[in-house]
Amino acid sequence: MSSKKNKKPRNALMRAENRTAYLCLIPSIIGLIFLTYVPLMEVFGLSFFSWKGNGFTGFKFVGLQNYIRLLTTDPYFKTSVLVTLYYTFMAVIGSMIYSLTIALLLNRKIPARGFWRAVFYLPYLLPAVAVYLGWNWLYNINYGLFNYILNRIFHLPRVGFVNDAKLVAPSLALVSVWLAGNLIVIFLAGLQNVPRTYLEAAEVDGANAWQRFWNITIPCMSPIIFYNLLMALITNLQVITPALALTKGGPGSSSRFVSYVMYQYAFESRKFGYAAAVSVMLFILIGIFTVILFATSKSWMFNQGGDD
Amino acid sequence: MNKASSLASRKRREKIINAVCFALVVFFSALCMLPIWWIFRSSLMSNNQLFANTVPFFPPDWLFSNYPKALVHFDFWTYLKNTMIIIVPSVIAGTVTAVMGGYAFARMRFVGKKFLFTLVIGSMFLPVMVTLIPLYIMWTNIFKLNGSYWPLILPYFCGGGAFNIYLIRQFIMTIPRELDEAATIDGAGHFRILLSIIVPAIKAAMIVVALLLFTQMWNDLIQQSLYIHDAKKFTIALGLSQFKGSLKQDYSAIMCATCMSFAPGIIFYLLGQKYFVEGIVLTGMKS
Repeated sequence: MSSKKNKKPRNALMRAENRTAYLCLIPSIIGLIFLTYVPLMEVFGLSFFSWKGNGFTGFKFVGLQNYIRLLTTDPYFKTSVLVTLYYTFMAVIGSMIYSLTIALLLNRKIPARGFWRAVFYLPYLLPAVAVYLGWNWLYNINYGLFNYILNRIFHLPRVGFVNDAKLVAPSLALVSVWLAGNLIVIFLAGLQNVPRTYLEAAEVDGANAWQRFWNITIPCMSPIIFYNLLMALITNLQVITPALALTKGGPGSSSRFVSYVMYQYAFESRKFGYAAAVSVMLFILIGIFTVILFATSKSWMFNQGGDD
Repeated sequence: MNKASSLASRKRREKIINAVCFALVVFFSALCMLPIWWIFRSSLMSNNQLFANTVPFFPPDWLFSNYPKALVHFDFWTYLKNTMIIIVPSVIAGTVTAVMGGYAFARMRFVGKKFLFTLVIGSMFLPVMVTLIPLYIMWTNIFKLNGSYWPLILPYFCGGGAFNIYLIRQFIMTIPRELDEAATIDGAGHFRILLSIIVPAIKAAMIVVALLLFTQMWNDLIQQSLYIHDAKKFTIALGLSQFKGSLKQDYSAIMCATCMSFAPGIIFYLLGQKYFVEGIVLTGMKS
C-alpha cells in the first residue's frame, strides 16, 4: 500500500492476466449469457404471454392464465408429469443399481477388463434414434427378442411392451438402463479412488467383505453416487427422444412425457407462450428434485475433506 | 503356521470370488450384447424369415446382400457426411473453447472469477429442454438461420458446455504449477504455456471432452429435427426417423440401416478408448 513504485508493476501484471483470462473466457461467457441465462429468463417471460410465433408481433399478455390452464383444464399436462415421474423413477433406480453392480464387478481382478468395460459402454455410443428403432423390433409382440425369451424359453404369455399402455414406460426405462454405460465408467473411476489403505486396515481389523463394502466403499463413493444420481435424474426427467423417435407419446398418453407435451404445444400447435409455461413447470419439477437431493446429501454424503 | 494357513485360505477365497465375479461379468455382458446381436441378426434375414413362426436365433442364410438393398433407399453416406459436417467443427471448437475456459479457471486470477465459475457450475444443472423454445426463437426469428446447420454448430463455439470446462479445469489443476512457473521465468506467456505445457499434459481429458461432445450430438434428435427440414441435409438421426416412417414393415431394411448407424460411434470409441478411460479416471470426478 505504502510504496507506489512496488505496486504499479504488479498491478500491470494483474491487469494483463485479467485481460488474458477474459480473452480465454469470451466464448464461454457468450455461451453462458446468450445460450443459457438469457434464454432462461426469456422462457419465464414468455410464459406470461400468448404468442403464435409470428415474427415479433402478436404477443398478448395473459398473466398467469397459461399456468392456471395447465394445472386445471389441460388434457395432457397432469398425466405427463405422472408418466415422467414413473419413467424417471424406474430409469434412475434401475440404471444406478445396474451401473454400480457392473462397476463393482469390473473393479475385481478379472482378465481382459478393458474389453468388458468397452462392452458395457458400447450402448451409450449408439445414436439414440437407432437404439429406439432397434428396441422397437426387440419388443415386437410376435417376432422380437423379448417375446422369444418369454415364450420360447420360459413359456410365458406374449407381452406388448411399447405397444401396451401399462408397459410402455417400464419398457423405455429398461432401454435407458441399457444405455447407462457412462455411469459405469464414472463409478469405476470412483472405485479406483477408494483408498486401498482403508480397505486393508479394515480387513486387518476383521471386517468382512460386506462390512468393508458398506462402511468404506459406499461412504468413499458417496460423492460419485450423488453426482451420478443427480445427473441421471436431470437427464431422465427431461426425456423426449423415445417419444419423438418411437412412441409419439402413445399408446394413448402413456409415454407423453412433459418435454414431449412442451414440444407438441410449441412446434405442432405453435402455442409458444403456453409451451413456455410447460418449460417453466419442467424447470420447477427438476429444480425440486435437485434441491431435495442437495438438501438431503449432507446427511448421507461422506466428505473425505480437503479433496478439492 | 496358523497365520500362514489363514492367509492361504483367504487367498483361495479371494480367487473364488474373483472367478465368480468374472463369470457374472461374462453373463451380464452377454445380456448387454444380446439386443445388438438380435438387431444384427435381423439385418441379415429376409422379411419372410423375420416374420416366420420359427423365429430363429441365428440368421438362416446370412444375407449380407440386404445392406446394398437398404442403401438404395437409405442414403447412409449422405447422412453420414451431413452428420460429420455438423460434428467435426463442433467437436473441435467445443474442445478448444473448453480448454481455454478451463485453463483460465484453473490457472489465472481475475476479477469476478468466483461469480463466473458459479455461473458455469449452475448451468451444468440447467436442463437443456427448458431453453429449447427461446433458443429456437433466437435462431429462427432473430438470426434467420432456420434450415441451416448453424444453430446446431454455433453453440459449440461458445465454451463447449459447462461440464467440459469443469472437467478440463479439474484436470489442469492436477498438473504441478512449478512447470508453468519455470516456463514463466523463461519468459513464456500464457498462450505459450497453454500450448507447450498444458495441452500435451491434458491430451486424455481433451479426448474425453471430444468423445462426450461427439456422443451428445450423435444422440441428438430434437434439435436436428427442429432446424433441418430439407431431406438432402438430413443427418443420420433424421434419415433413420424418416426411413422408418416410409418403410413401416420392411424390418429387414430398417435393421440394416440401424446397424449401419451403429458403426461410426463404435469406430470413434475404439480409436479413443485408451485415452478415454484414463481421462475419466484421472479427473477423478471429485465433488
